[in-house]
Amino acid sequence: MTYAMKRAIIILTLSLAAAVAIGPFVWLISTSLKGSEELFAFPPTLIPHDLALENYTGVWNAVPFQTYLFNSVIVVLGTLVFNLTFCSLAGFALARYEFRGRAFVFLLVLAGIMIPKEVIIIPLYANVLKMQLADTLAGVVLPFAVDALGIFMMRQAFMAIPREIEEAATVDGVSPLRLWWNVMLPMTRPTLAALAIFTFIGTWGDFLWPLVVLKSREHFTLQVGLSYLIGAFSDNYRYVAAGAVLAAIPVLLVFLGMQKYFERGIFAGATK
Amino acid sequence: MKAAVPYLFLLPALLFLALFALLPMGQIFYYSLLNYSAFGPSEFVGAGNFVRLVNDGNFWWTLANSFLLVLVTPVIMVVALSLALLVRREVRIGKPFRLLFFLPVITPIVIVGIIWRWIFAEEIGMLNYLLSLFSLPPVHWLTDYPTTTVSIMIVTLWRGAGYYMMVFLAGLAVIPREVEEASMIDGAGWLQQTVHITIPLLKPTLTLVFVVSSTAAIKMFTEVYTIIPGAPIANKTLVVYLYQQAFERFDFGYGSAIAVVLFLLTIAFSYANVRLMESR
Repeated sequence: MTYAMKRAIIILTLSLAAAVAIGPFVWLISTSLKGSEELFAFPPTLIPHDLALENYTGVWNAVPFQTYLFNSVIVVLGTLVFNLTFCSLAGFALARYEFRGRAFVFLLVLAGIMIPKEVIIIPLYANVLKMQLADTLAGVVLPFAVDALGIFMMRQAFMAIPREIEEAATVDGVSPLRLWWNVMLPMTRPTLAALAIFTFIGTWGDFLWPLVVLKSREHFTLQVGLSYLIGAFSDNYRYVAAGAVLAAIPVLLVFLGMQKYFERGIFAGATK
Repeated sequence: MKAAVPYLFLLPALLFLALFALLPMGQIFYYSLLNYSAFGPSEFVGAGNFVRLVNDGNFWWTLANSFLLVLVTPVIMVVALSLALLVRREVRIGKPFRLLFFLPVITPIVIVGIIWRWIFAEEIGMLNYLLSLFSLPPVHWLTDYPTTTVSIMIVTLWRGAGYYMMVFLAGLAVIPREVEEASMIDGAGWLQQTVHITIPLLKPTLTLVFVVSSTAAIKMFTEVYTIIPGAPIANKTLVVYLYQQAFERFDFGYGSAIAVVLFLLTIAFSYANVRLMESR
């Protein structure tokens, strides 16, 4: 077989796989733009006749979409701030200080990584109830604000920084907090970005926990709101589709904007 | 004062970890021994919940389904590895493909559920339409058992392939080029080289992917919850059963017993997982 032929086969295979990966999205977008009769057309049409943008305005007005969006943004931002700050502080301590109990603390972190959230949601919810945080965004954020895997990632990143840099800074007499913030943290930027990305993707898409905690509509995150949309408009799937497209846009933007950090972030996430 | 620095740095993270991971982990074992409704007082029942589990058909069915979902793991691995090898071989053309394969991964699972529920729809769904083109009868993707489990597997494969492709690419990136080039000089073809050199060198990544994707299969919730909400509970998975018992029936004690079983199942996988991470 010639080189060109081999290449053609590879490209063909990849294109086929890409069609399978992308097809369902095309179908979703197509559904979101259909008129009511066309929705049930058989055979199904891929390109809608009349591009019914009213599905988008319809779903926007039918459910408090802006509120869902706002709540999701609050939850993601809150989680990001907590997770990045506390994980990098803890990771720094574990990587750069000798102290009593370090091995034990590291063991706790590893134990934390091994606990699946699906296992602990019942006591978590019981505790959130006792703390008066049920049905609040704080109740969604706080239990998953610090990810043990993030501590682990940051520890690895700080460990990779050469000692000399730290020593030079210490001679200049900087305080530990300044050393962490001004000298060390900027050098872990790729890991920090990776942690930020997979925190964003994980929190934005999270469903089970917000579903458990949130009861009233005005507190729903996008994912919870969408899941209720399926029930409420099961006979009007065009609205559901339009809502899904709208909810996917933020992730897509972040993905396209931060592509180069993605592989790292995803690989770190894989070990979860 | 100086000695306190690392402890102060660790304090916030450890506080969160203790309060929201380690403490609940202890609580779950305790709760599993209680007759504990979300609203009422609790009483100690010893192994009562576990005796109930053993005699509960729905528990065994959902457990079996969760295990059944693990069967899709080898398929995902083959597809993901093939994609990774192809994408890597054609570096320049591969770039945009990586992006496309990745879209299902970043899409929130609820949206994935919305998309596929519509594709699986019986009378107007795309999938049954495609089947009809080949004169095949329609399949009850959303209602028949065990077809429902197959439907969930299809979605898992669709979403997982791109993700594990990335993981494989990361694993492939650390294999020294020289090793592969040397085998080329020795006259090995691409296929031979892949089978005899690349895949054996990829063993740690293969193990990692196996562990991660089978653990994910056992913990499956959102896909099932959004794609086959109408199916009987026996068609669903262990975590959906846990959710139903704890948050629809408010039986925290019984739900916790299910959680203990889930924990024991995942711990074996997770243990191997951490060992892998340490050795990396």
